[in-house]
Amino acid sequence: MVRSKNDRIANAVVFVILFGCGLVAVFPLLYVLSVSLTPFSEVLKNGGFILVPRSITFDAYRKLLMESNIPSAFGVTVLVTVIGTILNIVITALMAYPLSRKQLPGRNLFLMMVVFTLLFSGGIIPTYLVVKSLGLLDSIWAMILPNLVWSFNVLIMKSFYESLPEELFESARIDGAKEFRILLQIVAPLSVPVTLTVGLFYMVGHWNEFFQAIMYVTDRTLFPLQVVVREILIQTQSPLENVDNMTPSETLQMASVIMASLPIIIVYPFLQKHFTKGMLLGSVKG
Amino acid sequence: MNQRAAVHSVQETVPRRSALSEFGRRVWRFKAFYLMLLPGLLYYIVFKYIPMYGIIIAFKDYNMMDGIWSSPWASPWNKHFLAFFESPYFSQLLTNTFLISIYKLIFGMVPPIAMALLLNECRVRWFKSLVQTLTYMPHFLSWVIIYGILMSLLSQSSGLVNQWLEDAGGTAVPFLTSTSYFRSILVGSEIWQNLGWGAIIYLAAIAGIDPTLYEAARVDGAGRMRMIWHVTLPGIRTVIVMLFILNLGHILDAGFEQIYIMYNIQVYAVADILDTWVFRTGLQQLNFSLASAVGLFKAAIGLVLVLGSNKLAKRWGEGIW
Amino acid sequence: MKRMKAVSVMLTVIMISCGVLAGCSSGNSSDKDANNAPASGNAGSGASAASTVKLDIIETGNNLPSPDKDFIKKEIDKAIHSDLNLTVYASGDDYKNQLNVRLASGNLPDLFQVPDRASLKQFVEQGLLLDLTPYMDKLQPVKDFIGDESMKKTTMDGKAYAIPKAPNIPYNTYWIRKDWLDKLGLQPPATTDEFLNVVKAFAEQDPDGNGKKDTTGLTGSKLSTFAPIFGAFGVADPNTFYVKDGKLVNSLYDPAMKDALGFINKIIATGGVDPEIMANSGLQHQEKAIKGQAGIIWIDWPNLSKDQFTEQIKKVNPNADWMQLAPPKGPGGQYDGPFDAGGTSGMYAIPKALENNKEKLQKVFDLLNYVSGKDGSTLVQFGIQGTHYNLEGEKVVPTELMGKEAGFTWLYQFTGRPEMSYLQTKFAPQSKYIEFANSQPRIQILNGFLSNPDGYNPADAARFIEEEFVNFIYGKSPLDGYDAFLKKLESTMNFKTYMDASIKQLEELGYGK
Repeated sequence: MVRSKNDRIANAVVFVILFGCGLVAVFPLLYVLSVSLTPFSEVLKNGGFILVPRSITFDAYRKLLMESNIPSAFGVTVLVTVIGTILNIVITALMAYPLSRKQLPGRNLFLMMVVFTLLFSGGIIPTYLVVKSLGLLDSIWAMILPNLVWSFNVLIMKSFYESLPEELFESARIDGAKEFRILLQIVAPLSVPVTLTVGLFYMVGHWNEFFQAIMYVTDRTLFPLQVVVREILIQTQSPLENVDNMTPSETLQMASVIMASLPIIIVYPFLQKHFTKGMLLGSVKG
Repeated sequence: MNQRAAVHSVQETVPRRSALSEFGRRVWRFKAFYLMLLPGLLYYIVFKYIPMYGIIIAFKDYNMMDGIWSSPWASPWNKHFLAFFESPYFSQLLTNTFLISIYKLIFGMVPPIAMALLLNECRVRWFKSLVQTLTYMPHFLSWVIIYGILMSLLSQSSGLVNQWLEDAGGTAVPFLTSTSYFRSILVGSEIWQNLGWGAIIYLAAIAGIDPTLYEAARVDGAGRMRMIWHVTLPGIRTVIVMLFILNLGHILDAGFEQIYIMYNIQVYAVADILDTWVFRTGLQQLNFSLASAVGLFKAAIGLVLVLGSNKLAKRWGEGIW
Repeated sequence: MKRMKAVSVMLTVIMISCGVLAGCSSGNSSDKDANNAPASGNAGSGASAASTVKLDIIETGNNLPSPDKDFIKKEIDKAIHSDLNLTVYASGDDYKNQLNVRLASGNLPDLFQVPDRASLKQFVEQGLLLDLTPYMDKLQPVKDFIGDESMKKTTMDGKAYAIPKAPNIPYNTYWIRKDWLDKLGLQPPATTDEFLNVVKAFAEQDPDGNGKKDTTGLTGSKLSTFAPIFGAFGVADPNTFYVKDGKLVNSLYDPAMKDALGFINKIIATGGVDPEIMANSGLQHQEKAIKGQAGIIWIDWPNLSKDQFTEQIKKVNPNADWMQLAPPKGPGGQYDGPFDAGGTSGMYAIPKALENNKEKLQKVFDLLNYVSGKDGSTLVQFGIQGTHYNLEGEKVVPTELMGKEAGFTWLYQFTGRPEMSYLQTKFAPQSKYIEFANSQPRIQILNGFLSNPDGYNPADAARFIEEEFVNFIYGKSPLDGYDAFLKKLESTMNFKTYMDASIKQLEELGYGK
């Protein structure tokens, strides 16, 4: 009886704190959404900060859909994100699995190699030269290959694989299973949460990427979403010389932010339930 | 000297050859593993290690026309490092960078961990999912947008918060232009942006904890707090330690984009960091050698910290390698 | 046997990596050859048949449509038999990165924008730019278009290394809320003292009549908020060079600077100045003005009087009435913000490597001459006749389509435009504001002609000067410390070197003699 009362209090406390966090997170977003739906003069009239849209208009969205490069850039981004993320996950897992085996000769050297690049890099010029000499300029591969593996993600996956019980592999080896099959049939199904997490990191990384596109792509039809949005966002700082440009209103800017981030935000809830499933380690062990 | 080496080698030849072949056998036993590593390693070599030669521009007077190899060597060799060390702002930059970075390290790691633990304790499925999604969204707002929002909230003359303060009989606070508030605002807005996003990785780690451990604890009569303390936290310790070590490696970064967008001349004294200085002095003036020298300096310090902390962590049975 | 295979696999990997490495290291020279090879082949065939020449151009800008919708590109290509490939970068920093990798990799553009005078100097020293002096006779139409005087801006050691755009005109003035003045029964301030009183009154006497003390008198962005006040004391903005009484002066060393700072400190002490002028970035000060929070703002006419903004102003408050304000008179005269005689809204250079490719070089000249000539210039200013504008006699009359479609044509104005007639045509309703801003007396500064000497870090110096100035005007340091500030500037920031080099450069151009 006492126990369940305590439990209920704990539940309430958890609920209240989480509710507070959600609230704090949501209201600036409400602002962005509301501004994107309200004519900017109306926003200014209300002191510049609104949480509820006034005299709703979809003009900004219509304008972006009809007159900007957002629709075609959206296609590029989706393509890069899908192809990129699949390749990322496969190669990262292939790298992380051997590195999780402590007996592997040269393991520390390889790990050092991975960690070293987190800190040191040759800079943009030599990297550009590599991309150029591989003939990747002006192709979607220039937005995928130069960041194919993130050291950070390799280390996460590796540390997860390390936490798998050793007996698991030994029993498989007694069965005579080859390493590739062990990875595919035993390790992969057990590591859905971490694979999804790493996949999410990669996916969001691709989605938000603009620097590589700016560096390696000059063909405007290959520009991804974030390059287009960036152009809209920083136009207010452009030189006076282009007086004839329409300055994009904040309504338009916020609409572009919403359009660029909504699709990737929507993906997240669908991934969540897999995070919480947990592993069926117990049964495997038994 | 030579003789001794010769004697040495004669003595060692026989066992060494067998050690070598032993090593070879071991390597061969793991051939499938090396095959798996191959695509990743190839990537690292081509896109990460081949371009490493670019580091030498820190020691050259980089000239775009001549390219990296043919540009003349800087004289003295550490010219660009000196230009940085001798800036009148050097010690201030270093202090600011360290302070902001340490604040962010502490306040950037603890809240997401707490968030993950709380979410894990939340029994209402839909509510958990809702909060998780809401707190994840700010990650997608760029700093330009966040600064715009902060301005409309915290502006001294027109911000919402200051209007409340004044309505409540207080006086307006110069949040954005005063050296006493600026770092807190940096850290606060970073926590806000990163809370849900940072929690993801801990949630994944929690999902990887063996459920039988909870069962066992429950049988032992452990309460919620004890389960968190004895099962959940130890279960994500590896990830925490790893992130901590990797963050230490980036201790001299402190978050360029955020600061560059949010600072102004009145708070430079507490906000100007290495990267903002490099941006103004190096990149905006096309002085790539200087930028590269500072980058190298930062990476070297990061490397020392990573190696050191990893060694320490290994003593407690954790560590990256 | 198996081991052999493993070794050979490893060897192959190493060899591939070395191959790529070698490819990169020699990338510079081989790429350049590759760049030239097809072009020289082109030159052979080009002599017989008028083939099109592809020109790569990069610059900063935005809103460039895709090539199939780009009617300016099509028209120019038709006129000079070219295939223009223009790439624009929205952020100046992105542009610098791109320029850097393009130049370093030998993937050279044929015409590119030079970010500023400092980079011009750097490029010249690195031997990147083609000396245009011997070709000037081939660029006669360009010279006629931009004027001989303009070429000074891109000349170094007597040689012309870039083409500057045709001269621009000043846009900035103070703007003031006429309706607020009327409400408080005040006249537009004509002197600095009256100005101070109006700023104070706007903050204290509730000009918007909402019963709350929620207005400020003056807003702006950074120290330029006070540009006309500096002017009233006869000095230009901090760290600018100008000729005063026949002598070259830097405003920091102008004795009147101290008085100007003292007076600005007095204005701020009234409490009527937006406390965040130093933090306002982008259009934040403009938004404050439109929201009705400030009565005076230092800003350019487009950002307060373009149709889209007048509409916003009217929506927020139908009674709001912004008018331009002539600079207030002070002890040093009456000057609006300074105007840079050496300033240009852009300059374009040709890489030196192009001198070996006569045909391509000629095509770049054709392009520059074309956009400077009558037909080409009208095209890149207004679009296509009959579609985007009609001619009534000599007068260009815009059609509705011009506003809709031709907002990007400025990207092709490589040699600029006749600023006044251009603006008057495109912004007919704003005509009087354009005229007003242009006709105010201004101190002519010369900073556009300067490049930084070695051993001087302009970023550190700029920070130090700005920080100390803020301290002076906010009363955090007493003005007695001004001379000490100058001493410290010289001793820690190497400012003497900069002063000497700057004076020398300007004297060579004939200023102050």
